[in-house]
Amino acid sequence: MTEMRTMNLAALHNKLLRSSGILFFLLLWETASRFTWVDAYFLPPCSTVAAEIVRLFGDGSLVSNLAISSVRALGGLLLALIIGLPLGFLFGRRLVIVGEILDPLLRIASQVNPFLVLMASTLILGFGESAKFFVIAWVSLWPVLFYTTTAFHTVDPYQIKIARSLAVSETELLAKVLIPSALPTIFTGIRISAGITFFILVAVEMLNATSGLGWLEHNSAMNFEIPTMYAAATVIVVLGFLLNRFLLSLENALFSWNASSSTVTRSAVREEPKPVWRPNRGAAMTAAAALALVFCAGGYELRKVNAERSRELAGPDLGKHARHLGSEVRK
Amino acid sequence: MSTIPAAATPSKALVSLARCALLLLFLAGWEILPRLGVIPSTTFPPLSTVLATVVDNREFGRHAVTSTARAFGGLAAAIAVGLPLGLLLGGWFPGTRQALEPLMEMFGQANPVILSHIVVLFIGIGTKTQLFIIAWLSIWPIAFSTISGVRSVNPQLLKAAGSFGLGRWKLFTAVVLPSAAPAIITGLRLAAGYSFIMLIAAELMGATTGLGYVMATSAETADMKSLAAAALTVTALGVATDALLKLAGRRVVTWGYQGVTG
Amino acid sequence: MTVIDPTPRARTSDVKITLRGIGKVFPLNKTPGAAPREFVALSEINLDIRRGEFLAIVGPSGSGKSTLLDILAGLAPINSGEALIDGRALSGPDLDRGIVLQGDSLFPWRTVRKNIEFGLEVKKTPKQERRGVVDRYLRLVGLTEFDNHFPHELSGGMKQRVALARALAYDPEILLMDEPFAAVDALTRETLQNELLSIWEATGKTIVFVTHSIEEAIYLSDRVAVLTSNPGTISHIIDVNLPRPRNSGDLRSSPEFGRIRHTLWQLLQGREGRA
Repeated sequence: MTEMRTMNLAALHNKLLRSSGILFFLLLWETASRFTWVDAYFLPPCSTVAAEIVRLFGDGSLVSNLAISSVRALGGLLLALIIGLPLGFLFGRRLVIVGEILDPLLRIASQVNPFLVLMASTLILGFGESAKFFVIAWVSLWPVLFYTTTAFHTVDPYQIKIARSLAVSETELLAKVLIPSALPTIFTGIRISAGITFFILVAVEMLNATSGLGWLEHNSAMNFEIPTMYAAATVIVVLGFLLNRFLLSLENALFSWNASSSTVTRSAVREEPKPVWRPNRGAAMTAAAALALVFCAGGYELRKVNAERSRELAGPDLGKHARHLGSEVRK
Repeated sequence: MSTIPAAATPSKALVSLARCALLLLFLAGWEILPRLGVIPSTTFPPLSTVLATVVDNREFGRHAVTSTARAFGGLAAAIAVGLPLGLLLGGWFPGTRQALEPLMEMFGQANPVILSHIVVLFIGIGTKTQLFIIAWLSIWPIAFSTISGVRSVNPQLLKAAGSFGLGRWKLFTAVVLPSAAPAIITGLRLAAGYSFIMLIAAELMGATTGLGYVMATSAETADMKSLAAAALTVTALGVATDALLKLAGRRVVTWGYQGVTG
Repeated sequence: MTVIDPTPRARTSDVKITLRGIGKVFPLNKTPGAAPREFVALSEINLDIRRGEFLAIVGPSGSGKSTLLDILAGLAPINSGEALIDGRALSGPDLDRGIVLQGDSLFPWRTVRKNIEFGLEVKKTPKQERRGVVDRYLRLVGLTEFDNHFPHELSGGMKQRVALARALAYDPEILLMDEPFAAVDALTRETLQNELLSIWEATGKTIVFVTHSIEEAIYLSDRVAVLTSNPGTISHIIDVNLPRPRNSGDLRSSPEFGRIRHTLWQLLQGREGRA
């Protein structure tokens, strides 16, 4: 009984410690601004920004832009998965030599600057959604491809041997051995991909969009709506952080059977083995439903907002937008 | 377990040969196809023209140098801050590390464009801003990789070395650093990659020199030669830096280096 | 090839597995200019394994023990000779054989129960039946309380027990074991050996047990085949006429045990290839 209490106390202590850095930072932010160590016009206090976030949430623009950003990110990621997963399987198991030959070329392609890809696709595909979609898909593809290839390539041969000794069919081998074995690494690739996707998405929206979280931040910066800018920036940063953390804990929960994997965080070392979370049907359906919702809501929102903006553009007031959309106007 | 020799596979030489052939094919295609008009040469100038721009155009050269200097400058600053930070937090101050890690994670989420908006408010547009933006994002991967490397030192090694009566400092340099080296180098490669990405972003957002600037202006004026030249140079720089770091990594870590990015 | 086997030749219907003139070669990487080389792993293997017999195969590393087992499992094609099971030609792997390997070969993403169930899934045993079968084998290897644990939570010895249960669950007639206890500590190994023997006596399966430990081979088996390397052939087959059950008293210290051990030791010493 006392053991449990000391454990809980320790866990609490741990949590407090982990949040102290951020809390300290927020405190610093608030005081620096309020005591005008820094010009409060350029750095509004933390509380003001928080209030602004609430306001944006209230008038719906936050949710709307969030939905739009989400649907772009998910769309790009999905395409990356559709291409990357099968290709990774091929390069990992079937066409291994081809994969090896192509590897340097692919690695170089993955290192091409995403902003460069953005410029190129904007030139070719214009300022519409397709350019953004392409860039996001491009950027997401590489971690998925590389990690999936490695994942399938490094399946434990002993386990394959056991399965083969039972004369399993190729499909059975794939489903029962190859995929479960490769899944942790594939998931790591997807997690890394998601992080990069979110990152690039926001940047792309700042440079090349009329909607979305990135656009919100950029637009308010251009219009010197400083608190709104900070509000959007904070939301983006926190969102990225939460996304990464969520995927990490998902990975840990799903794959804690992989005791030697490097994703098991060392900070909270627990002696008793972590339970493996096996998502049941309910969880899977909920996840699928949530994703479907994001797609539909986001897609709807996207079309609505884009339609509004193009109506705005058709109007006379082009001044603010000229610098960004100059080429399109010229076209 | 089994000492049966490896079955015959296509030799390494064959794979390398195929890779070279592929590369040559790619380069040849880039040269020939635009000339033949299969690909519109206005959108995709042939390789020779692009290379000519890179080599002959003096102004382009200056931009390239500026960009490279910025990227490496930012990276150097990131290493100067991130590496000691990682070493200290990983090795000496576990409490502070636990407190700061979430905060550092947040900082690592900072998008270059967001950063540039905020930083510009305080420092204005200029080289300092560029460097700051480039450095900022690169600090965190270095710090995290270093922390991870330091913390994952095999405690058996420390025990064994300690039994020799090594002092704390010697223990650090002789055991911890070499153990952590692969992770640190992986962090460096990651950071180098980021710094080039941030470089272009930062330059796109309001520089008047540098390859990013060249890309922005040549995009607006549809000067595909310069755009392609800038693109090629940036990519080449990034690839070369990564390859150099990988090589340096192999030199420093001579015992079975296993980088994360391969 | 001489056979030290005082018992009369078994009746053909007693023979479970027949190997005649088995040969196996591995092509080696070509050095440019030279002719393609081969590594002769096994050559002229002749062996009759009786139904319900416990046969051990000993030999130095590189003698092709694992290759022979792979051939029996149907996982490696033969280059020459013929292999018959129950008089029929061996063609590929099948559910009539089970394999237990040395290393960690459990599926880490499956619980103990699900691991044992694997063969039943492949065999397409109806779901209701599976539970009962798995329960039975869990009891057999003494791991009933661990049925929902994952492999990474188990010790080495426990993992091998699960591997054994997994190989037994779909009731193959032949069990092929490739140094299964080599990676386990000495005390656990002895326990596992005894458990294996009681399982064997209870189920009457034919077991082919590969090991590099002479003592283990003698302790467990009815006959020991000596495999020599370069090329791999069966040089001798020794009868182990020690009384069963083997775990009564300290058999390993008995003079009879020592005599057989010495014989095998000499055979291995004299015929060592490159080992």
